[in-house]
Order: sequence, then C-alpha cells, then structure tokens
Amino acid sequence: MTNKTQTGHGFNYLLGLINLVAVFCIVWLLWYIFLNPNTVMKLYTPMYGFSLVVGFLTAIVLLNNVADYYPFPYTSSDAFGPLQRGLILTGVAFLLMLFIVYIFFWGFIGKLGVAYFSPKSIIASGGMGAEIFNARENASTALVYFFTAFLWIALFWSTGFGRWPWHQSDRGIVAWSRLFAVLFFSTIVYIILFHPHVCYLFYPAQDKAGVEPWWSEFAGTGSAFFGLGLVLCTLFWIVASELLWEGSPWKYFENEGHGTWWKGLITFVATLVLGIIILIVLLKIMTYFWDEPFMGGQYTDGPDFRFIHAGEICGFFVLAAFILKHYFNNFPNLNSLWLRATIRTLLSMGGGMLFYWFYYSPLSTFFLAKVPGIAQPGDTSLVWTILFLSIIMVQADFFEGWPMRRK
Amino acid sequence: MKRRTFLKSMAATGLATSLAGAGALTKQAHAKKKISFGEVKSVKVGVLSETSWFDNDNLKKHIVDYGGAMTNQYDIPWDWENAGGYMALITVTTLEGKERKILMDSGWNNDWVDYIYEMNNIPEMLKSGEIEFMVLSHWHLDHYWGIESTLKHKPDILLYAPKTYYPEDMKLLKGAHLTAKNKQGQDVHICKNDVPHTGKLVLCNPDGEKDGIYNPIPGVAIRNFDVPILLRVRGENVLYFNVKDKGIVTVTGCCHPGILSLFSYARKNFEGYKPYGCYGGLHITLFETWDPKFDDIIKGVKAFKIQKLGCNHCTGWIWAEKAAAAGVPVVKGTDKYKTYKRQSTVATASNAFLTNGDTVVF
Repeated sequence: MTNKTQTGHGFNYLLGLINLVAVFCIVWLLWYIFLNPNTVMKLYTPMYGFSLVVGFLTAIVLLNNVADYYPFPYTSSDAFGPLQRGLILTGVAFLLMLFIVYIFFWGFIGKLGVAYFSPKSIIASGGMGAEIFNARENASTALVYFFTAFLWIALFWSTGFGRWPWHQSDRGIVAWSRLFAVLFFSTIVYIILFHPHVCYLFYPAQDKAGVEPWWSEFAGTGSAFFGLGLVLCTLFWIVASELLWEGSPWKYFENEGHGTWWKGLITFVATLVLGIIILIVLLKIMTYFWDEPFMGGQYTDGPDFRFIHAGEICGFFVLAAFILKHYFNNFPNLNSLWLRATIRTLLSMGGGMLFYWFYYSPLSTFFLAKVPGIAQPGDTSLVWTILFLSIIMVQADFFEGWPMRRK
Repeated sequence: MKRRTFLKSMAATGLATSLAGAGALTKQAHAKKKISFGEVKSVKVGVLSETSWFDNDNLKKHIVDYGGAMTNQYDIPWDWENAGGYMALITVTTLEGKERKILMDSGWNNDWVDYIYEMNNIPEMLKSGEIEFMVLSHWHLDHYWGIESTLKHKPDILLYAPKTYYPEDMKLLKGAHLTAKNKQGQDVHICKNDVPHTGKLVLCNPDGEKDGIYNPIPGVAIRNFDVPILLRVRGENVLYFNVKDKGIVTVTGCCHPGILSLFSYARKNFEGYKPYGCYGGLHITLFETWDPKFDDIIKGVKAFKIQKLGCNHCTGWIWAEKAAAAGVPVVKGTDKYKTYKRQSTVATASNAFLTNGDTVVF
C-alpha cells in the first residue's frame, strides 16, 4: 500500500477510468483461465482456488509491506525501469506463492508436522472423507485461514509500527525481523481464531489438538467464519486509514517520522474496535433484510454466513478504496484532511456497494459463471475481490502504476 | 489538525453513526399476514429410492475431475453405472379420510428408476391417475434426469417444477438425448427422454399462486425457495403438510434451503404454526465429511423442537448418527434396503437413514 497522491489538478481521471477497465478485463481473463468452473483450469472448487488467490496476495504483501522489496531495489531507476521491476516482482510473487503453498505447507509443514496442511497427509491418516477432493479442500481451508491471519498482522504492522523497532537498521534487518515478528503473531492469531475450526473439520473431531470452537455459543456458530468476518472488517479500517486517511490519526503518535510502540498499540486496538463496530452494524443491516439468524440456519439464515458476508462486504469496500486511491487519485483532494478522509471513506463504501450489486447480479453469471443468488454454499465473493486487489497491487506497487503513471 | 481535535471529531462521528445505524436497523422485518392452507389427517412417505448414486467417491471424482462443485452438471460425463435416483411416494389422508397420492422427483438412471417403479407399482398408479401430480423438487440430475421413466407411463402428468430452469433442463423435458465430453473429447451419454411432457407445467416461484405458496390439496402447500445450488442449479420446491393435531411436516428432495430455514419460514408465515416433523434429504454432510456448521444444525434442530426427523440421501449418515446420539428424534430405518439389487457404499448398520423400501407416517 503506497501513499502517493497527486494534487487534483493535472490528474487525468479518464486515464484512470481506462486503466480500471483494463485491470477489470485482466481480472476477467485470469478468472476465465484459472477459476471459471466451466473453462480451462477450473480451480474455483472453491477452497483450492481461494487458497491460491489469497496465497498470491500474501506473497505480494510479503514482498511489499513486510520485506519492503528487500533484496530488490526499493524503487525503479533508469537502469531498472518500472516495467522490468514489475515483471520481476510479479514473477517472484507468483513463485513465492507456489513455494509457500506447495513446498512450505503441503510438502514440509503438512508432511512433517501439522497433517491438515497437506492433502496427502490427510489422505494418509485415513478415516471418513479422507480422499483427494475433500482433503484438498480442507488443507486449502486451513491455508486460507493462515493467510488471513498473516494479512491482518502484516498490514496492521505496516500501518501501525512501520519499520519500528528496527528503523535505525538496514533494509535486510528490517525485512527479516519484521517477517519473523509478523509470522509469530500471525501464528497466534491463527491458533486462536481458526485452528479450532480446522480441527473440527474432521470426523471424529481432533479435540486433543484443538478446543471446540470457543466462540460458538455467543456467535451462534462453531464456524471460523466468525473470525474471518471480524478480521476482514478490521482490515477495512487498516486499509482506509492507510490509503484514504493518509495514515491519520495514527501518524500523530509517531516520533520523528518513525513508528512507536504506542502508535502500533493504538492502531491495533482502534482498528479492531472499529472492525467490531462495522461488523455489528453490518449484522444489524442483514437482520433488517433477512430477519434474525439462528444456529443451524443455512444460506442467509446462518450466523456463519452473516459473519463471512460482513467480511465480504468489507472486502468490496477495500477494493473500492484501492481503486479510488490508485485510479482516481484519492478523490477529493480538499484542504481539510477530516473532510477529504470522510468523503473518501463514504465513496469507498458506495463503490463497494456497487461491486456488491455487480457480484450478486446476473452480470456475474456472464463474467464469472456464478449461479445467481446470495449465500451459495462454497461461493464467496472474496476470491474475485482478492484477485482484483492483487492485480491492482501488482500494477500500483510492482509496476509503480505503469503504464498509467510514468516517472 | 491537532491530534486531539482529529480524534475527538472521529470519535463523535463514529459514535453518531453507530448509534444512528443501530437505532434505525433494530427494526425487524414487518410481521406478515399468516397463511392458512388447510389441514390433512396424516401423511405417509414411502421411500422409493434415496440412493441417488451408489459410490460417493466415484461421484466426487467426476465432480473434481471436471471442475468442482460450481461446474454445470450437463458438462460432466457422469458414470451411468453409478447413477441411481431419488423418488418418494407421498400419500396424504385428507380430513374426510380419502387417500391422495403425490410423486416427488423422478430419479436419474432410467434402469434404476424403472426397477424401483416396478417394485412399488408406480406405473399402474401413474396410468390410472392415482398419482395426481408430480412435484419436482429441483433440477439436479439425480432428481430429474430420470423423467422419462415417469413420462412413459403418464406423459401428461401435472408437474410442479421450479421456474429457475436452464435451457438444457427444458430441452430434456421436451424430449432430447444429451451428452457431455470426457477428457478424451468423446461424447458420453448422460441423460435422455424420448417422451415429451404434454401435461400442464406449473413453474413455481417464491410468489406462489397466492401468498407465496401453491395449494393443490387442502393441507398441502408447495413453496419455492430461490436459492443457488451446487452444479449450477437454482431453486427448490418444498412440500409442507399441516397435519391436524400434530403440526407442520416438510418433505424435501434435497432441502438446499436448510431444514431450519424451512421451519423458520413456516413459523413466520403459517397460521397456528407448530413444528412436528420432516422427511427427505437434508443436504448436510452430503459427502460424509464434517464441518463445525453441522454441529450447529444439530443444536438448531433441538432448539426448533422438531419431533420426528426422517432423513436420508444427502443428509449424510454421519450427521444422522451424530444427531441421533445427541438426542435428535431421528426415525430409524429397516434392513429392507438390503434386499434391493444395489446398496449405497456408505450405508451402515446404525439404520440412521430411512432407506429404500422404508416408510414413515406423520
């Protein structure tokens, strides 16, 4: 997530719109090749494709927000232009995704440690449902949850702490230190919010490895969609404050331009509280339209669906925020930070609802081969949203906006 | 802007927004006028066939190999030998004591459907008009592709089907031979119908003919739920029965909308609602796998106080067994299915399913 905004004067909004349409078409093409259930690769099974897409976003965030591009050049130069930089970093992100999913998790952790991260290990353990389709879906579910925890902590760390406490150190030290710190906290988040769900994906439940989902009574569901929704709602505020509020208000807690312990703590707590607030508001809106959910309800009646749907809606808001920032120069650029931050946030929410309308309209049947309707089991808008976000981030951060934005 | 000013204004706006939101949004959906659709004396459901396929792994392999759960069912070259079908014969006893019969669904593999029909005297009931109409629960292959086996005995049968059909569905109903390509590019036969439907076709939608339901017999309601379903199918018809002195009974093909959602709908819409029982596929552990959400359904069924739960097909044996162990009143089946020429590979000695040849009376 970069923070470069031109003043409104001189920005070509038409060019931004053309760029957006081009990116939409690229996403459509990628969806058609890799994810469309009726075409070539058919990876949207859905969890297998979901894990690969969110794995790619994780690789992008790892390179960008965690490693600050180390060991690659921080920015392009005459010798290393944005096109070359973009191609190399995109290739590295793709390879990193393959490495993380297939070698690190499927081949290493899943084989030598936690069986449920590897389809082969699940099958080898035998028992009910231990065949390739279900095993791959379950392993992919675990990966999606781990990547979600990683994305939360990585983006929070980038916004909250920045380079602190290694800001005096060189890039390599910052990159490695931040990676280990983010991984440490991601693992804790994963264990608490998601591991119990994955342990209860099996029959009999792996109740010596994970507790029964502790949130099931008050959330009305044992599904980890509860945690997923909460994390995604929180992520929206992290992204909004970084992109749309220009780092405010957290930057007021910086010390000489560097992150501080207080800044990190306040960012974490405040975004989490805001995440809980928007989650509650979205749940209330859903109750208004679909009545109260109840334990064991399916489709729109299910509390699990309500939680993930809140996360999906925030995913649309995040997507719209990225588009506003990168293709519409963070419109509007008024003098008052408070006013422009508020308008941008409202625009992101409005834009997000446009995407919502698109995803649940017959248009998505044409573009994505999706069955019309809301809450289809196994279907989540997050896959399309994350794919879209990934391509935006690739262009904005790896290609530095090329070809729209030139140095 | 000073840090304090910024934080103050942000907090004030956040609070105002959340309070306004909470206030405006706590309003519940308006209470609707309750529907009264009559009563029946009793309902008997005969399990003609609940074995839509015999080998779970075989079916799943085809789904995996050809693109997963979102793939168009007409694009998968299914293994014909693994195909069975889902059909149920429903006998309603009216308050006057008259028996009236309804067929739900028409299976998949015509050989299997014909075999089952012969065992249960269905051809005669169709020809004589004893079976008054057929309700197609949804357009899934295992409920619909065997339609020829019904139409060849009664081409003009009155048919209630979901309005949310795809062109291939209607093509088959009007008479067609359909194929899908396998990995080698060869066309594989997937379904056929040489007897076009000539009777009245009622395409059901959530508006119903009145108040959201179709009411073909007093005490019997057909309700369409427009939900997206696996394998690019959409919408399911559900049968509700209001059994005198007992309460509401649902009979479903696959129950994709969710069993508790059906009772929730009845609670909100039917006059004098009392939960009583259900029969059918309940679409829970379809492939005998588990998820914490399935534990939610067990707790939910107990909370809804369903008194008689007959299940099979896509419910999943492990869910039925676990639900029974948790105290859900699951109606046990018999061993009659073992006398049939084929059995499902997932059937167990627990008899937690009402299987082929069993009946349940509500």
